[in-house]
Parts: sequence; C-alpha cells; structure tokens
Amino acid sequence: MTIRAVDFILGGPQGGGLETSSQVLTWAFARAGYGVISDREYFSNIRGRHSYIHAETSAFELPRALRYPIHLLAAMDAETVFTHFGDLAQGSYLVYNVGEEKSNFAAIPSMEVELRERLRSMFPGIGVDGTLGSLVKYMGSRGVTPVGLDYASILSNAQREAGIVASQVSRYVSAILIGAVAALTGLGEDYVSYGLARRFQRKELYNHNLYIARSVMSQVKSKFGSPLALEKSSIGHGELLVASGNDAVAMAKIVGGLRYQSYYPITPAADESFTLEEYESIHGDGFDSEVVVLQTEDELAAVNSAIGAALSGARSATATSGPGFDLMVEGLGWAGMNEVPVVVTYYQRGGPSTGQPTRGEQSDLLSSVFASHGEYPRIVIASGDHEEAFYDAVDALNYAERYQMPVIHLVDKFLANTIASMPVPDPSKTKIDRGKLTGNVTGNYKRFDMSSPISPRAFLGQAVMWYTGDEHDEVGHITEDSEARIRIYEKRMRKLEIADSEIPEERRATYYGPEDADFLLLGWGFVKGAALSAMSELSAQGLRGAYLHVRVFSPYPSKLVAGILSRFKPDRIIAVEHNYEAQAARLARMNTGVEVERSILKFSGRPIYTDELVRAVKSVLSGSRREVLSYGA
Amino acid sequence: MARRPSPTDYRSDLWNDWCPGCGNFGIVAAMYQALAEMNADPRMTVVVSGIGCSGKTPHFVKVSGVHTLHGRAIPFATGIKLANPKLNVIVNGGDGDLLGIGAGHFVALGRRNVDLVVIMHDNQVYGLTKGQASPTLPREMQTKALPKPNMQDPVNPVALAISSGYTFVARGYSSKVKHLKDLIKAAIEHRGAAFIDVLQPCVTYNDIFTYDYYDKRVYQLEEAGWNPDVKDESDAVGKASEAYSKAFEWGDRIPIGVFYRNTHVPSFEDRIAARLPNYLKVPPAEETVDRGGIPVMDGAAFRKAFSEYIVDVAKG
Repeated sequence: MTIRAVDFILGGPQGGGLETSSQVLTWAFARAGYGVISDREYFSNIRGRHSYIHAETSAFELPRALRYPIHLLAAMDAETVFTHFGDLAQGSYLVYNVGEEKSNFAAIPSMEVELRERLRSMFPGIGVDGTLGSLVKYMGSRGVTPVGLDYASILSNAQREAGIVASQVSRYVSAILIGAVAALTGLGEDYVSYGLARRFQRKELYNHNLYIARSVMSQVKSKFGSPLALEKSSIGHGELLVASGNDAVAMAKIVGGLRYQSYYPITPAADESFTLEEYESIHGDGFDSEVVVLQTEDELAAVNSAIGAALSGARSATATSGPGFDLMVEGLGWAGMNEVPVVVTYYQRGGPSTGQPTRGEQSDLLSSVFASHGEYPRIVIASGDHEEAFYDAVDALNYAERYQMPVIHLVDKFLANTIASMPVPDPSKTKIDRGKLTGNVTGNYKRFDMSSPISPRAFLGQAVMWYTGDEHDEVGHITEDSEARIRIYEKRMRKLEIADSEIPEERRATYYGPEDADFLLLGWGFVKGAALSAMSELSAQGLRGAYLHVRVFSPYPSKLVAGILSRFKPDRIIAVEHNYEAQAARLARMNTGVEVERSILKFSGRPIYTDELVRAVKSVLSGSRREVLSYGA
Repeated sequence: MARRPSPTDYRSDLWNDWCPGCGNFGIVAAMYQALAEMNADPRMTVVVSGIGCSGKTPHFVKVSGVHTLHGRAIPFATGIKLANPKLNVIVNGGDGDLLGIGAGHFVALGRRNVDLVVIMHDNQVYGLTKGQASPTLPREMQTKALPKPNMQDPVNPVALAISSGYTFVARGYSSKVKHLKDLIKAAIEHRGAAFIDVLQPCVTYNDIFTYDYYDKRVYQLEEAGWNPDVKDESDAVGKASEAYSKAFEWGDRIPIGVFYRNTHVPSFEDRIAARLPNYLKVPPAEETVDRGGIPVMDGAAFRKAFSEYIVDVAKG
C-alpha cells in the first residue's frame, strides 16, 4: 500500500545535526519529485535544548501547511520522544534509540519545567513509569510501531567499517535518522545519495554518512518494510526551488536590483542578509550585480544608512524583526517625510518586548501600519507563502521607487524558517519600475516639485537638492509657513491615493473558493497555507467555505474586501490570525465598516496546523465566537 | 563653473537664523572657503547634519544638503557615501548630537574608516533646547541656563576619535576661520574617516567657554612643532598614544590643529572594493538593474547564480 503524503518530525538537541537530516531528506524528496515543506522549531539557544523539524512530503501537491497527528517520529534523543509521543497517529512509526530505554524524563535537565510537570501528572494514569522504555511500550499498545535501533552499535560498526575517527562519530546520528525515514517512506537509495552529495562536498563525509544511512535503511527495511511508502509523484515539475523564506526573499531582492542592504543581527531576519552577503557579487552575461551588505552597529544605523543609500540612488533595503523595527521607526518617519524609497523587510516573531525570539507570530501588523509619530504614507505588504514572498520582495522595491515612500514587507518567522518547494521563479515575470527619474539636472532643481504629488527624482550627485526632517518647501528647505505646510502635507499624503488607484485591488487581496461559499475565513501572511488546506478538507466534508487573503494593508483594498465581506452573514465570517487581537480584522473594520465578530487565533508561537484549524472552524460554525489554538510542542 | 568659484558661491540665499555672534558662523565661513579653494562640484558635495543649531548647516550651504535625525547624521552619511563613493560627504553635528545620542555611530565610523569628514560644533551645551549640559561640558561647571552644576564628566572628543580608529583627528576654533578652512581641506583630502572638533562658543547659553576664554588659550600645534603623521604601520600605536595624551592638554594652553593622521589604514570603500570588483568604477547607485523594465538577471542567470537551491527532478 502507498500513501499520498507523510507528515513527520525529526527531533533532537539543538546543534545535534537535525538541520543536516532535514536538508538531506528535503533535497532527496524533491529529487524524487515530491513536494516538501518543513518548519523548524527551536529554542533561543545554541546547543542542547530540544529542537525539532516538522515536515510534510507529498506526492500530489507542493504542500503549504503541516498537520497533526504525524505518521512518523524520528528521535535523536529520549527528550524528543517525551515531548512528541502524543503527536503520533494510530498506525504510525517511532524511530528511537534502544540504548536510551532506561532514561527517565525526570532526569532530563534541558526539558521545560512545565512539560516535566505535565508528564509527571500524566504518566501514572497511563501506567508509564517515567522511562523511555516504558513509554515506548505504552505507545506500542496504542497502535504505534516502535522502530528501535541501537544507535551506539550502528555508530561503532560504522566507525570500524567506514573508518570514522572515534571523536567524530557522534556527529553521525543525523545519518541514522535519514536512513530510517528513507526506509519507512520508501525513498530510494539514489535519492538519499543525491541529498547527501548536495550536503557534503567533502567526499569523506559523504561516504561516512552514506554508509550509515545505507546500513540503517537495510536494517529497517528488512524488519519493517516500507509501510509509509509514498505513491508515485503526480506533481509534474521538472525542477523545484527548495529554499527557506529568508533565502527566497534574498534571491528576490537580487533579481529586483537591490544594491544596498544594511542589517543589525536579529532572529529570524539575519539569515536573509547572510544569504545576500554570500551572493553579493554576481557577474553574468552583460550584467553585474554587486550588493553592499553592511552589518551596522544597531538598527538605527541600519535603517538610516539604507535611507542614505536610497538618496544616492541605490535600490536599498534593510531587514529586521520586532525589537529592531521599533528602533527603525524614527528613521521610517524621516523617509516618509522626505519621500525616500526604502524597503524594510520585517520578519515578525513573538512579542511584545523580546517575547519569543525564535517563535512565530503575526502581532506586528498594526505596529507596521501605524508606526511612527505624525502622518505619512507608507506601503505595507504581507506575504503568505514562499512564492508570494519572492514576488512581493521585488514589488516592494518597485513600489518604494514608484511612489517614493517607505515600504514595509511583512513576513514572519514561520515563513522565514520554513523550507518549502516551489516552482523555480522566473525573473522575466517580474518588472523593475524605478518610478519618475530626471537624471542629471542643470539649473535649479526642486526635489519636491509641487506640480504633481510624485515629483521627478534626481539622485544625490545629479543635482543640488536639500532634505530635512522638518516640514519643508519644494526645494527641501525648512518652512513653518502655515499655507505651505498644507500644500506640501497634502502633496505627500496624496501619493497613497495614487498608489491606491494604481495597484489593482486583486493584487492586494485574493479570494479563494466558490463564489457562493457558506462561510469565509479572513486571513493574511502564513495563515494562507493552513487556511487553504483546511478549506479543501472542509469542502470534502461538505462544508463549503472560502478564504480571503489580504496581501497589502496599505493602501488597503477597501472596496474589494467590503464587497466580499458584505456577501456573508456576520456569523459566517471568521478571522484567522497569529495574534490575540485579530489585528487584520480590526483593520478590515476600520477600512470597510464591517465588524468581524468571530475569530480563530493562535499566539503560542507555533504555526496553525490544518487539522486544528478544521476543528476550530467547525466550532465557530456551530456558535463559538473565539477559538484559541494551542497545538504544537 | 568656468571661473574659479568664490566662497560666496557656496552660500545659499536663505536667511541664517543662528544667534548673532554664534560660533557656527565661523564654521560655515570656513566651509565656504574650503569648498571654493577646492573648486568643489556642488552636485557632488553633500553636507549631512543631525538636529539642533548645527543641524541647520546644510540649508546655509549651496551644495546638496541632508538634514537628518538627532544623532543619526553619521549613519545617513555612511549610506550616502557607500552607495556612491564618488560623492564628497561632510557631516556637521553638535557635541550632543555626535557624542550623546549618536555616540555609538561616532565610534562605528572610526572602526570602518569610511571616507567621510565629521565636523563637530562643540559648544558644551544643547543650544536649540535652551542650554542643557552636553557630553563635553566638564563636571561641576554651571553654564548660565543650568539650574545646578553639571554632575557628569565630559568625554574628550579628540581622544575618543583616536581610540575609535579615525585616521584623521583635528581640533579647530571657529574664530580662527583660515586655520579651520585649512583643516577642513586637509580632512576632505584625507582618504578615510576624518574628525574635526571645532571649539565654537555659544554666545547665548555658554558663559564659561567664550571667545575671550579661547582667544587667550588657543595655540596652533603645527607652530609648536607637532608632527601628527604616522610614518608606517609600526608607528601607528605610538603616534596614537602621543596624540591621545596631547588631547588632554586643556587649561592655560589649548592646542588646535591636526593631532593624528594615519594614511596606512584602508578606507572602508577600499575594503568593499576588495570584495566587489566593480565597486569604485560603477558604484551601487550607478549600476544598471534593468533593461527596459526587465531585470538584468534573467531566468538563465538566475538558475546559474542560485543553482544551490534548485533541484532537478529525476526522470522516471
């Protein structure tokens, strides 16, 4: 028997090689033509705390969301099993180390106190004595097949047979997980070898890992077969881009002509700048792409130097997360006042304050739309998946220059750290719009020429011009004259109306589902994947819903959203968001007058899973006004 | 400009609203003269300022001007310069702006050695907010607006610049315009981060460090035989520590002139150029990013550049 999609978790200590297992498997599944998505959950810690990767691989689609319960848990250590045993479905598989059967949950120092307390009160009731062995036995009685492997003997065999240096051998646990997952899902050895070859350029490391993965594959296959074997892929892509959200945005910025990126290190934004630095110098057939990537002393310097670079004429951006964005807000106001095209890629994470630095949230929407004192126009785009993030990042650079205003590109940690398969982006489907440029100016130049809301722009070096954060006249000099104030204020603000009239509303919000749907989910950002998956599941159960995905929050697509909301009864509209306040629903009310009264919210730091969303939608449809989701370790 | 420019060519026609007698007038006068003598192209010259009385400087100079946020002139200037290293970028900031709210940026510029000139309007008080103590006002001093004597110790701007890595460190006095003009020219000609601490009496709020005070004490380092130049890299620490000690000479005699100059440290632009081969020839601001609205990087180039992310699905 074969199945269409497998959800699995790889778990282990942070820094223990989980990322390697995940990368190799992701490439291997993609090579075999399967769609993949994998979310990484980790503590704010470098080594030792429990980390896991939750992935889905599918034979029929490029998956966009994850679900519980899972089919397979592959554990590097006992803590992983103690943390995730409840995630396993009937008929699922547990790969664990038999050498750890005696280890007791109460003696695991890295475990969160709350989890230990939950286990302490739960285990006596289900007859588990606290050891891994007894928990595995219990799981066996609940329909989970334990795949016990002796990690130590696998490694010591490999050490002998493949010539691994003894001190290095513990680094190969990742290969055990790779072998076990490949065997159970029926992934061919060629694909495993492909994934390993991509991961390990050093022949020796490749050989060692392949040796271990192979021996685990044959051991697992001979005993268990391939009970989770995937059916042949029907996706039909000849090639796939496999990337994290951070990387997708970095690639898009390069395609979009980015020439200056500044950043101050912050999770989960910094990886984007690392990738940009890696690709800072690309020279091709008749073109050069050189990006200055500057690690600044703080976020104030990051945003302000990006603004400076934009004044000189470079396409310019910075990337940050909540605490960093707060520091950038002052600079953002200056950019608004001075009509500077600058992009801030804003990776949302758990707040407030430093909140949950490595966990996901969508609680910075209102802060983005309203950031900074005074009034100034800005564009706020929010991406729902990797493909959107790619094209949105290019558009962010375009909108910034076309409308001469700051653009905030909202993504979130879920997207940033999730690796997904997507069609290879096609740069020829993108445009570069540099807006109204004058080039070199002889004679007097008015940077803020009042004859139209969007004044022709010259770069520093092309004309003499002035800028100031104070209110200014057409030339850029300070003025406090009351009438001049009104004229320039209106000129500035009117640019947002122009953006509103030019950017099609369909670009800013998308309706998914049948026209005559019975209910509507209203969401944004990474909610998109879970919402679409939940809708198709609900529709298979006879519940016909639609999903309205808002992708630009300023200028808000008011008419389109109002029109769609008005088609549904108030108790059939449900906001789905990763925050407490249903922030996008508040903006919908502000812009359309329609109050969204029902909500499904998750602010635990973990992504919304398809299955929990399906359940919550049913609860709301039967009367509940507010559901707070909590699944996920 | 066909003819040799005169200092007045660099004066904007705006009314300058600094207090009559303000030390800042000497600083802009020296800038006009320096720019004229260097025949500076007004389009290629950018004056960047922060907030406060000194913040208004760009509006009074007829070259491009960017009047930014409190404390942030250096980061703005850094972005402007790195995106187009062909520009000549001069920062003007107050002592509160550069050493209070902007102190982190001040230090970072020294570490990078970006080819910028920083002119600090040093009057020991916050003028535009009416006379509060700035980071350069000594402890126990009570200038006339202060309700109580200052409780905080001063930072020594020259010493801080030397220890932060500035490769040109000088002090000027706004009443000695010609001398200051020469310092500004030398700072512009220097390739790397240049800092000039300008003693600049605030006639409204500082009744201690007045013209009279400085006129009696100021002397020129070059006339006293001071050699600021680092001979070679092995001489850098020795020269820096001599200059550092000299920076603390204050009281009956106050030195002005170039304290320290090191031409052996690569500028930040040179450091970037070592990684980006086109950087100095075609800077980021001038690079072509599209052809008729289409990105210069096409599908084939994308695949080649990012092959690490692309998986060819196996056939069969």
